[in-house]
Amino acid sequence: MSKPHYDREHHVKKATGIGDPQCFKGEAGEARFKVGDRVRIKDLPDLFYTRTQTYTRGAEATVHEVVYESPPAEDESWDNTENVEWFYSLVFSMKELWPNYPDAFSSDTVETEIPEHYLEAC
Amino acid sequence: MLPPTRQKVMRHLDIVGHLQPSLHEETHAPAPDQVDNAHFRAYTRSTHDVGGEPDIPIPWEEKEEEVWEHNTFVTCEVLAWRGVWNAEERRRRQNVEVGQTQYLGLPYYGRWLMTAAKILVDKQFVTLTELQDKVEEVKKRYE
Repeated sequence: MSKPHYDREHHVKKATGIGDPQCFKGEAGEARFKVGDRVRIKDLPDLFYTRTQTYTRGAEATVHEVVYESPPAEDESWDNTENVEWFYSLVFSMKELWPNYPDAFSSDTVETEIPEHYLEAC
Repeated sequence: MLPPTRQKVMRHLDIVGHLQPSLHEETHAPAPDQVDNAHFRAYTRSTHDVGGEPDIPIPWEEKEEEVWEHNTFVTCEVLAWRGVWNAEERRRRQNVEVGQTQYLGLPYYGRWLMTAAKILVDKQFVTLTELQDKVEEVKKRYE
């Protein structure tokens, strides 16, 4: 087995002085969703790695902010940074996520960031 | 009386015996048709630090970081700076590649430290025998 040869500092070179995810700005094209849109989280296979929480799968949320462009965690964690997409800050109703959530706190929400390929319009 | 090394080994085996199986049912080397989709997903789930998993309430503690924890953090950042990994690969290795037992069983920065050593072996910056020799050398300083 030979040792792999590739530019292992490519990300450092790209992000130095700019920051991450700012260094991916402009690479994702047009955002599919806008603030206020209702979206549903796809239950994509969670094999090997994901940062899209299981409890959000199949739930509906409101886009609170279109936050930044970045490769999704599933790609970036193997240093694949070519496919950049928009990330959205989404607001979920706690009552909708957790069936036994008390009615007294029915206005509680939780906000989290999820990449575009997990989202579908609803 | 067993020699100290054997005592350590026996203690280790005792603890590991209590860690398995991860589900409270017959789970050792099941036939393929004994693992349904729900069990497959449970076994292959990727542990992560983004919350939302069932647990009992745990007390909030305001804990200062210790010197070894700061040193571990800096080491991991330097590994990123030198292109050994990026933050997402570090996170995947700390949270998922360690397996559920280590994820739940080791302190937070313990997983960072384990992972920093592991990636240097995985990516062939050091060999495992070099690491073994170094760990032995350092242990002897404290004997």
